[in-house]
Amino acid sequence: MSTLRAFTMPKWGIEMTEGTISEWSINQGDWVSQGQMIALIESDKIVNEVQAEFETRFVRLIAVAGESYPVGALLAVMAGDEVTAAEVDSFITAFRPAGAAAEAVAQAAGAAHAVASSPHMLELPRDIDISPQARRRALDLSIDVRAVTGSGRRGRITLQDIELASRPAYAVGGGAPVSITPTTAALDVFYASPGAKRLAVVHHVDLAKVRATGPRGRISRADVAREAGVPLRGAAVEVIRMSPMRKAIARQLTLAKSTIPHYYLRRQVQLDALQELRAGLKQRNGAAPGLNDYLLRATALALCEVPDVNIQVHGDEIHRFPDANISVAVATDRGLITPVLRAAQRKPVEMLAAELRPLIERARAGRLRADEVEGGSFTVSNLGMFGVEQFDAIINPPQGAILAIGAARRRPDEREDGVGFGSFSWLSVSCDHRAIDGAVGGRFLAALCELIESPQRL
Amino acid sequence: MAKMTIREAISRTIREEMERDPNLIILGEDIVGGHGTAGGPEAIGGIWGMTSGLYSAFGAKRVIDTPISESCIVGAAAGAALAGKRAIAELMFADFVGVCLDQIYNQIAKFRYMFGGRSTCPVTLRIAYGAGLNCAAQHSQAVYSLLTSIPGLKVVMPTTPADAKGLLTTAIRGDDPVMFFEHKMLYGETGEVPDGEYLVPFGHARLVREGGDATVVTCGAMVGAAAATADQLAADGIACDVLDLRTTSPLDEEAILDSVEATGRLIVVDESPPRCSLATDIAALVANKAFSSLKAPIELVTAPHSPVPFARELERAYLPSPATIGSAVRKALAYR
Repeated sequence: MSTLRAFTMPKWGIEMTEGTISEWSINQGDWVSQGQMIALIESDKIVNEVQAEFETRFVRLIAVAGESYPVGALLAVMAGDEVTAAEVDSFITAFRPAGAAAEAVAQAAGAAHAVASSPHMLELPRDIDISPQARRRALDLSIDVRAVTGSGRRGRITLQDIELASRPAYAVGGGAPVSITPTTAALDVFYASPGAKRLAVVHHVDLAKVRATGPRGRISRADVAREAGVPLRGAAVEVIRMSPMRKAIARQLTLAKSTIPHYYLRRQVQLDALQELRAGLKQRNGAAPGLNDYLLRATALALCEVPDVNIQVHGDEIHRFPDANISVAVATDRGLITPVLRAAQRKPVEMLAAELRPLIERARAGRLRADEVEGGSFTVSNLGMFGVEQFDAIINPPQGAILAIGAARRRPDEREDGVGFGSFSWLSVSCDHRAIDGAVGGRFLAALCELIESPQRL
Repeated sequence: MAKMTIREAISRTIREEMERDPNLIILGEDIVGGHGTAGGPEAIGGIWGMTSGLYSAFGAKRVIDTPISESCIVGAAAGAALAGKRAIAELMFADFVGVCLDQIYNQIAKFRYMFGGRSTCPVTLRIAYGAGLNCAAQHSQAVYSLLTSIPGLKVVMPTTPADAKGLLTTAIRGDDPVMFFEHKMLYGETGEVPDGEYLVPFGHARLVREGGDATVVTCGAMVGAAAATADQLAADGIACDVLDLRTTSPLDEEAILDSVEATGRLIVVDESPPRCSLATDIAALVANKAFSSLKAPIELVTAPHSPVPFARELERAYLPSPATIGSAVRKALAYR
């Protein structure tokens, strides 16, 4: 008994409250050696491999792949030697999550419909007829099963009953009388499906002219849709459930766009000097850091010149950072992720480039650590590679500002000696007006452009 | 258009089709009915009163009283059909399908297939079915689920006088055996019937009520109960699609799926008991082909898994009613 150990949902970073088992890499009953991969776990921010810390056997896998669990929740039971199923069962029953999990359970209880406030709801009354899945779910959601009416056989409580009890009630009918007389009665002379007739009424299609291809020579909805030149309702819509990361992005950006008073400062910057510098380096060394690396370097230096933009906003406090910790927006298959280049102002451009490349690779592979995506003081987003010339970005909270960089374009430019061609890029800085006034933002943008246009300073 | 009952619509259609096609015969128990009685051969005219006058109009060779043997009725009709006639055969009560199931299940349903399509079996078997007349367990059953499961048969259930005419005409003129189910409680149903030639094709459901909240799929006598339910619910702002299947074989899958895709909620109302029934068949269809459209579990409102009771109160409780259909609709809508 004493050899049994709990494998629980880890906590990565201060904000993590729950995680999802993306997949188990082992099967129940497997022996694992130290360092062997056990599972892929996904938090709001990252997907991480979890490795065994010691040699052990996974005697029971409890968590279901694809489901999310609060931090500290019991995911599996490990044992170093032979144990009986009964011992494992009593270990699971006796298990109490610590700290965060208890908190999360309490939160779920607050949101649920039929819930008990008492913490001893963690154990369900034994005399209630409830399916094992429903029992587990009721424990997860802290549902008071005594308030649930079972819809299963002989009144047994099912998983569905628990799910229902956890959701708010749904309003039925408007209360006011409605008409349910078919509007298609006049079309009954045609051999058309009811759905086809309804579509014909909506789109004013004359059924006499429609070619029938439906079953038994009947006019189908597809026939009417073809005649009307409209797509079929609901045709080929794919429903994709949001991943935890997608949900986190949605939550963060909705919060940002709806609560932060954004304003935008836009200006074009000339890139010819910078491109000349890069061309020279390339000729001499055969290679040069990318344009984006230089723009990141320039951003870092500009942030140090105007530190009032290098901030995070926390309620009534502005946290100003001594270092330019630049979050770099990286598009991945799973969604947008922003690894952080720390103290970027201290690193020459070659070093920045060398640091950024593996960060991006790991971001795309879903292998970033939590500490690599936290603590940024400013974000840079570059959509130039997609041909985007100009865009305004949404601030990445709790940061105070974000820079959006567009594609470089050659265009005519008025000069002292007439008109020439230059290479220009649009920059747009989105600022949180609660913390950064227009003049401050403007000073930052001016400093940034000056650095880019005098690249010898970079 | 003329207003008449389903009984009249069926009676007239039989007469019109017999006038039109001299090859058409009709046979059954007591369809003439008075042979050897004081009132003469036509003293009775069938216990459901739909065949009176046929004997004097078409004669003994085309209007045939049979012995009290359902195997004989269906077997004779099948043989006549194979020999080139068209036959309308009448079963006084659907329950007697049990007596002649071999003729139906093994013979008429299989002929066309087993003869490689070189022979057809144009038999229309008119079958009076259903509960509500206090006829007890052996004279009240809704046998259509049983026969719908048999390949080779078409199964038809008119619910209006117009459909009775249109579906019966299609059944008689078609070359395949048709199980034409007439609900005993619906014979007195009145409605407008189109004049002249009128055919309703098989496999085309009828939209009885139109609304986007839930789909009620039903057939036969349950159509009236479902429509009444929908009218009550409409007063509360709940709008239901009510589909009358008209024929359970062939089944209008398209109409069912179209509606469920729009409403996401399905209630199937079926007078037959719940196991391996029309209700489970439609539930399976929707679960299989419209799974992602469903917003709530499919509700089945059926008779219980029990014989039809004799006592009036129990028979009422046995049948789906606007009360039970209404609570099923509300349950489906309340699902969140």
